[in-house]
Amino acid sequence: MIEALLQTLLNGAASGGVYALVALGYTLVFSVLGVINFAQGALFSVGGYLTFLLMGGKIGVNGALPGWGLPEGLPFWLALLLAAAGSGLVGLLVERLAFAPLRRRNAEPLLALITSLGAGVVLVNLLQLLMGAEGYAFPQSTDALAGLPDVLMIGGARIRTIQLLLLLISAAAVLVLSLWLERSKGGRALRAVAEDATTAQLLGIHSEAMVRLAFFLSGGLAGLGGGLIGVSVSLPGPYFGIGYGLKGLAVLVLGGLGSVPGAIAGGLLMGLAEALVPSSASGWRDALAFAILFGVLLLRPSGLLGRRTVEKV
Amino acid sequence: MLLGALLGLSVYLPLAAGQLSLATPAFYAVGGTLAALLSTRWSALGATASGGFPVPSLLLELVLGGLLAGLLALLVGRLVLRLQGIYLAIATIALVEIVRVAILNLPFTGGAVGIFAIPQPFATAAGYLLPALALLALAGWVCQRLEGMPLGRAMAAIRDDELAARCMGIDTTGAKLTAFVLSAVLAGSTGALAAHFLNTWNARQGSFDASITTLAFVILGGSRTWLGPVVGGLLLTALPELLRPVGDVRLVLFGLVILLGPVLAPQGLITPGLLERLGRWGEGGKP
Repeated sequence: MIEALLQTLLNGAASGGVYALVALGYTLVFSVLGVINFAQGALFSVGGYLTFLLMGGKIGVNGALPGWGLPEGLPFWLALLLAAAGSGLVGLLVERLAFAPLRRRNAEPLLALITSLGAGVVLVNLLQLLMGAEGYAFPQSTDALAGLPDVLMIGGARIRTIQLLLLLISAAAVLVLSLWLERSKGGRALRAVAEDATTAQLLGIHSEAMVRLAFFLSGGLAGLGGGLIGVSVSLPGPYFGIGYGLKGLAVLVLGGLGSVPGAIAGGLLMGLAEALVPSSASGWRDALAFAILFGVLLLRPSGLLGRRTVEKV
Repeated sequence: MLLGALLGLSVYLPLAAGQLSLATPAFYAVGGTLAALLSTRWSALGATASGGFPVPSLLLELVLGGLLAGLLALLVGRLVLRLQGIYLAIATIALVEIVRVAILNLPFTGGAVGIFAIPQPFATAAGYLLPALALLALAGWVCQRLEGMPLGRAMAAIRDDELAARCMGIDTTGAKLTAFVLSAVLAGSTGALAAHFLNTWNARQGSFDASITTLAFVILGGSRTWLGPVVGGLLLTALPELLRPVGDVRLVLFGLVILLGPVLAPQGLITPGLLERLGRWGEGGKP
């Protein structure tokens, strides 16, 4: 009983960690530009597929280049890191195409919502062209996880190593990022731009570069999440990231828009809440996140850890 | 295509009051599911064994689908319309997802397969042209009338500056709610019509993708006049069909339209200025 509960909680925390990654990606962009990048879900997919290819996976029969793949697969951790960097670069491209032109023109910020959605649609369908719509399973071998056993026994509970890695890696990523934002010079510059881009520019901070940095990091986080989920479950098709993107949105609101600790706490909370849904009602599990989202918006729109903003006239 | 124009108008209505609502697919799904259930389960409507269906019953379904969606909008709108901007957009996405999961999991809506063999009121697909056109004409007429009515002016005032509108004594909540409910009624009726047209109905009809697509109708067409969403809806529903020869690339191109449309034409294709110029050109052309 206790073992089962432990297992459930760990599963919840692991998926919660991934939700936190996605939500943090939204948070970075939102705090700097005050807009939401709806291509985040697509970047999640990109990360998953990049990890798959880098680990030596082959393109399936419905893809553009059937049977093509790297001659030698990279180790799990290296593939994950490179895939995250790759998604970050794609994130930069999204910024160039979907956000920069509107910003230069001082257009309605809500338009960025549409253009980023469009960028997401393009990305997902390009993936589908390249890789086909079929699902991919990662090669499951012990050396894929750097020689660790597949299953660990902790306190009598059987835990899949990958779940634990998922939790640890997302925790590490979140921790490093928060520390960087809080302490380092670059992080401070980023926060300064978030506070007031014009003033930051006057103080000698290159605002545009900071915006690009935020998009790169945000894309990287999404890619990392996609890679982790891909390795631990599978890649069910190019659209799989969209669902995580939407969940991340719910987490974002739950934690409070623009709040880094909020995104982390919201992610963990959401993962745990979903894990505790009994399996007899598993069909409704996807609705839970959005029901919570709805409740939060109505009761406390600023989120659990967000700041209340007073609208100025 | 006409259905696309109708959905475009349904997104336009709240937007005319400055409220970005992505809830249209939820109401569309509700209307469609109701029509699918009624026509396959309730024999009093007169569905024949050969798959025929009397037209008056179809009209009854359009009304009922609209009413149910409107009722839902009334309940939900009271709560969510307190939210603004991006929060409202997210809340309405949540509504779409909740409705989708509910239709997927409720015991009587057929799960993932959905409801199929929905009886046909018309022998050919062209038969649907008439009710769709009538619905579009009705919706267009309402939108046109709105522009001159106190309610429409109140909506425009809220779009430009909600706080100022409230200071002028405009019942902003009431106007926003009315726009939201009108939008839902339209989406619900469209769904009821679409259920018959498509012959099968399942949860996929009202998904997040549909939110994007319907919003793209309005953005491409322009959100300042009601003609904009109609044109946008017509164009974008025709586009995937026109692009069918290029095969798999068509969804990529479709995404590019959504991505580049707002960049190249921030006001959409049909702007009030364009209409004015067209009008002047029309007058100038007369002898």
